[in-house]
Amino acid sequence: MPSDTNIYKPIKAKVERVIDESPLIKSFVLVPEHDFSFKTGEFIELSINGYGEAPFTPSSSPLDKKKIEVTVMKAGYVTEKIHALKPGEVVGVRGPFGRGYPVDKFYGKEVVILGGGCGFAPIRSLLYNLIAEKEKFEKVILCYGSKTPEDCIYKPFVNELRKVERFEVYRSVDKADGSWNEREGVVTVLLDDINMNISNSVAIVCGPPVMMKYGTLKLLEMGYPETDIYLSMEKNMSCGLGKCGHCMMGKYYVCKDGPVFTFDEIKDQPDIWL
Amino acid sequence: MQDSFQIKAEDWHSFLLDLSGDNTVYVPVKTFKNLDYKIFTKEIENIVYNVAKPVTPLKNFFLPVKENVFNEKKNNNKQIIIGIPSCDLKALEILDEIYLDNRYPDPFYKDRRKRSVLIGNDCFKISDHCHCNSYGIEPYPVEHADASLSQIDNTIIVSINTEKGKELLNQASAKYQVQEPQAEILKIVQERRNEIKKQLTVINKTLPDYKTTGELIKKSDDDIWIKHSRTCVSCGACAVICPTCTCFLLIDRPDFEKVRQVDACQYPGFERIAAGEDPLHKRFVRFRNRYLCKYVWKPESFNSIACTGCGRCIESCIGNISKNEIFIEMNTAAQP
Repeated sequence: MPSDTNIYKPIKAKVERVIDESPLIKSFVLVPEHDFSFKTGEFIELSINGYGEAPFTPSSSPLDKKKIEVTVMKAGYVTEKIHALKPGEVVGVRGPFGRGYPVDKFYGKEVVILGGGCGFAPIRSLLYNLIAEKEKFEKVILCYGSKTPEDCIYKPFVNELRKVERFEVYRSVDKADGSWNEREGVVTVLLDDINMNISNSVAIVCGPPVMMKYGTLKLLEMGYPETDIYLSMEKNMSCGLGKCGHCMMGKYYVCKDGPVFTFDEIKDQPDIWL
Repeated sequence: MQDSFQIKAEDWHSFLLDLSGDNTVYVPVKTFKNLDYKIFTKEIENIVYNVAKPVTPLKNFFLPVKENVFNEKKNNNKQIIIGIPSCDLKALEILDEIYLDNRYPDPFYKDRRKRSVLIGNDCFKISDHCHCNSYGIEPYPVEHADASLSQIDNTIIVSINTEKGKELLNQASAKYQVQEPQAEILKIVQERRNEIKKQLTVINKTLPDYKTTGELIKKSDDDIWIKHSRTCVSCGACAVICPTCTCFLLIDRPDFEKVRQVDACQYPGFERIAAGEDPLHKRFVRFRNRYLCKYVWKPESFNSIACTGCGRCIESCIGNISKNEIFIEMNTAAQP
């Protein structure tokens, strides 16, 4: 009989709350059947009973062992089922998997975070982590972009973040309306507005593939070394264990070797921007 | 450990019958055109040793085509697999690296590996596409087998390589008449080995070695892949039958159960993500992916080789695609 812990067996978690973030994005607060620890940037496999499983990086604080929050954009057939979840329903959780953000490498530095759309999810978890240790960073700059003002997620969190010492928040939307008094344009325009000391700075990028690509190119152009740009890659992580092969990106299994990579690590691999 | 004996074929099969009471004993059996493993019973006929190679790769004994990986069933039944060719034994290296890694050892794979006794055999007869020698593998078991056997006429020579093999095969010497292998029989084994090595060298003389193949693939342009993938129908047979391809699909079942099922990067949608992007959307890219994986990427991340030259992918291809022809073509084009 298999004697090791069964790596394929999910634990159960109850949906405590569902939060509408935007027309296509919802957050789900999950209460796992027992304490659950993860490092920021690591991901979980969330399963809908008998239906399917999909990978998500928690958007909640890694310091909270009682609850996990995931933020999900309706995109495929599993996410459509997740969006239909109601409080009280039970889902499966496996993980945590992969390699998250090496927060200790950011100590003493300016941290520039470039996020787009639902890519704010892993970043929010990272920000919770950075806030908890805020005296260890020179400053933290969040540049976040979305398509329209109504697509901007985590509005209450952003308001709180603006009040945190050493933290700066810049936002842009591709298409503004009368209610918007921040920047208009793709997220990379925000990088023109900020002041940072590149030689003592690291950059973190998370968002849709096209945004990751142009965000990275812009950061390189600004002078960021390839080793200081951290990317959270999106692939079809299925087993989470470096075995099933669905998330291979050249020599890497994104689920095991990532999902967080420096640009230097992955620049020679194929299809990094899909 | 190096221990060996010779035993009459009929005694060997009586011994297998003894073993088959408490264990599942698999032997290579010739059926119609093919050779494949069958469970040994008293009635079984056409057992053929020393011929390359069973249709089923060894991996399937540890990674069944489909299996529920939620329910852990107690099973102490030993599986004794007899007649494994050396290409399949070599393939265990990469399987072990993937499935027994330190961080996430697979409990189902581990359990089956532990419960198995592997008895390899010499290849005295090879098939058209055998090319183990091109990748540095001998056509007879050198490592990873608990024991190995060679049949010369009515005599079976058994070499024991591990404690596990010894424990099992000592039972044969206790009940049946065994003797130290005769020098003249060992000489015949050696002659046949030499002959097979010679044959392999001749049929594969233009085939580049494993490392060179990786370099050639790295430098290749799209055209050669477009040309050779024209008859590919994305059936995935090449991957399913490959002793080193182990990708799988996890299927969700009620009560949060998971079923693991063989999958292949050759199937459309293998890498597709929820938003719809699919890096392997084009057929020739998918086709090339399998070779990039085997000859370029796996060698960068693992210590083992990811093709052992069994030739099954060529034999199973309904589009008549030969990977070796592609590599020979690339190699020829690269010559000054």
